[in-house]
Amino acid sequence: MMGNSLSAGQQGGGSHATVKEACVFLSEYASALLGCGATCIRIEKNVHRMAETVGVDYSMTIMPATVQMTVWDKDRKHSYSNIQKIRKSGTSFNINTQLSRLSWELHDGKVTFSEAVCKMDRILQTRPENRWLVLALASVANASFCRLFGGDFISMGIVFIATLVGFRIRQMMLEDKIDIRLAFVCASFVSSVIASAGYVFGWGTTPEIALGTSVLYLVPGVPYLNSMSDLLDGHYISFLSRFLDATVLTVCLSAGLCGGFLVMNLRWF
Amino acid sequence: MDIFFGALQDAFFAAIASVGFASISNPPHRIYPVCAGIAAAGHSLRYVLMNALGMHLVLASLCAATVIGLLAVFLAPRTKAPAEAVSFPALLPMIPGMYAYRTFQNLILCLTGGEAEFHHYFYLCGSNGLTCLAVLLMMAIGVTIPIFIFKRISFRATRQI
Repeated sequence: MMGNSLSAGQQGGGSHATVKEACVFLSEYASALLGCGATCIRIEKNVHRMAETVGVDYSMTIMPATVQMTVWDKDRKHSYSNIQKIRKSGTSFNINTQLSRLSWELHDGKVTFSEAVCKMDRILQTRPENRWLVLALASVANASFCRLFGGDFISMGIVFIATLVGFRIRQMMLEDKIDIRLAFVCASFVSSVIASAGYVFGWGTTPEIALGTSVLYLVPGVPYLNSMSDLLDGHYISFLSRFLDATVLTVCLSAGLCGGFLVMNLRWF
Repeated sequence: MDIFFGALQDAFFAAIASVGFASISNPPHRIYPVCAGIAAAGHSLRYVLMNALGMHLVLASLCAATVIGLLAVFLAPRTKAPAEAVSFPALLPMIPGMYAYRTFQNLILCLTGGEAEFHHYFYLCGSNGLTCLAVLLMMAIGVTIPIFIFKRISFRATRQI
């Protein structure tokens, strides 16, 4: 554990350089965790663990788009502050897991401070899951979701196709850096139009369930859960921003669905 | 007996749904089997509570989420992943998605007719919205209770000794 604490001599730049390095690393670490969708309690625990190991005092504010951090040395002679922009990587439990493990590795002396800095860069390069695999899994998932709501096998097939096409549209639009809200409206519109096939052609006995579940793959479940976790933990700003983000996406998917109803001239339920 | 087979089927499809929806959030591959098992247990428990005991959706979700949280706290260290990386994907099939979008759909419909329609759709908007919020909150509380009770275990899950 001693090997990990930064001392002035070791860094060669005096105590201020030490504090600066620690502050930049910790604030980047916190913003990376925030960006990959970790809960606030997780961010605080992990940063606290690492700050203790490195041997500095810190204060941190977690805002929706930034992390603000001031780091002091133990004698309270030098400080350094950094406002770090959030590093948006999309929700990734994989990065979350690796970063959490990194904090323990530093704490347990398995990596030194400079190794941890390099390792964090490597972790942030982690590639997202293969998109074709995600596409297939999400489509099968939504089809089985249709079953959970009582849909028959024909409805499951309709939902599978609707999700396959809608999710691919969402992926393509997000890859082209098109606004996520527009992507959600388009994806839910297309999914609902395809899922209305049950009504149009009279396929299956549960067309209303097929239509109702066809857009559920778009519901931002993890942000909703994260926001509730922040609420219980007293991080109200983070709770509100995450909750509103998720709500906006839900509104967008409702709008797309309403558009689908209008175009296909279906009765509102 | 119907309940038994219903619960089995519910467990099977909930497991598939949780793996599929989890894959959108880039989890580490080794959590998939654990997460599928936990989701199956939680969702089928909710099914039994609601269909056999007639429990309300909100209360049943709280019970199911507590069980999911409990299982996640004890199984997460084996996957070397934080508890929430296992329990949140397992909770995804229980997210009240249909209530969430119906809230806004009915809000739009409020503006389409006269007083009677407004009352009807505003009622639907309110009841869907409240149910959605209550279920979400109960799920979060349920999954957090075990983490607070077993604090030592749950925040050490990613430690490798």
